[in-house]
Amino acid sequence: MKIGKLWNKLANPKVVPRLFACFLAILLIAGFIVPFALDGDNLYLRPSTQTQIDEGNPFAPYFRGGSLLSEPGVTLAQYPENSAYLGMVTSYLSPVSIWLASITPYFGTSICASPGGILDEILYYTRGFDTILESSILMMSFVIASWLAINYTMDRKNDEDEIKNDLKRAIGDSNKVANEVKKSDIKARNKQMRRDN
Amino acid sequence: MDFITLGGNSLGTIPLGDIVLYLTPFNLFLFGILLLFTVMIAFSKPEIQTEASLGGLSNTEVKVTPKEFKQRRFLSVICGLASAGAMITGDLFNFTLFMAFVGILNIGIVSAVKQTSVLNSAFNYGLIAMMCSLPLFGGAAIVLASTGTLSLFELSQMTASPMVVFGILLMLLGIIGESGVAPFFASKAEMFRTPGSPFLVIIHLSSLFIIVRAVEILLLVLV
Repeated sequence: MKIGKLWNKLANPKVVPRLFACFLAILLIAGFIVPFALDGDNLYLRPSTQTQIDEGNPFAPYFRGGSLLSEPGVTLAQYPENSAYLGMVTSYLSPVSIWLASITPYFGTSICASPGGILDEILYYTRGFDTILESSILMMSFVIASWLAINYTMDRKNDEDEIKNDLKRAIGDSNKVANEVKKSDIKARNKQMRRDN
Repeated sequence: MDFITLGGNSLGTIPLGDIVLYLTPFNLFLFGILLLFTVMIAFSKPEIQTEASLGGLSNTEVKVTPKEFKQRRFLSVICGLASAGAMITGDLFNFTLFMAFVGILNIGIVSAVKQTSVLNSAFNYGLIAMMCSLPLFGGAAIVLASTGTLSLFELSQMTASPMVVFGILLMLLGIIGESGVAPFFASKAEMFRTPGSPFLVIIHLSSLFIIVRAVEILLLVLV
């Protein structure tokens, strides 16, 4: 194939997502042969498996120690000097969580387990700027969607011409469909006649 | 590669917890230019195109209605600020978030257009932008898993393992798709063939600047 033809094909917006999906698939499949070496010394350390369960800790396997606002729990930051109060709310428990932890040894594995604000501390303290950005992405998509909904989808008062056109088109379409049905009907009848004779 | 070799002397940092923004002359220059353009866009009026009408000698004016103009101006100012933020961020995940932000704003700027060809290409660009979230965030996650850090300063000190190279390549594919570099240019290039020029230019400008910054990040992490 000539390269000019190839470029012309690429200039069609419809082709682009498919092409991109192809490239992505190739790269992801190539990912299978990449040797995976995870970093053992990761930022958010955890004690070795089963130790907390053996101790009978209801917060196992997510217990991180510390006491609220006085002693920090185990939470590591890339730059500890930028977050001086890191880990202070790790051991926070809501009254419901305290009650649940007192009646079951498996509280840590339940869905309502949020022992410690470890997630909150990552989200709102050490990486707070990311949270701001994420929610602003969401907000902008709502701005776009609501503007379109209010001005184009819901607002049909001012475009009477458009409604008229739409109606005309709908009538034309239904006529076309009726014609096609008629034609295929005649064809089928003819076929049947031929078969009968 | 080091920050100083690429961007010149470090002029300080803006610490926001683990996300530290680095100020080097290179990054500050890109940041300043984008802010300048954003201010210019915020105070400019939209262009009026003239089209030759078919079967006659008269011209018709193609205008943007005030409502649409306000919406577009708002989104383009946010887009300018988001791409300016991507210029000085010192965090890999933060950069991918800025990229996704710019992507959705680009669709938003042209979403109110009534030309079907433009809307069609915006739809196709939207499909790419949706697909891009996988390589963008997946790439950043792979880099985090293999190095234990997202800070560009720490990453620039490390030697890249094959997994990091894969993660960065994945991220690069996401950036290429989202900013519409060849061979994925068609949908994005068709998107701004509509009146309302200064606001549409930010679509182009943001992707250009982000590609420059992406190359810097690539050099920082890989070399």
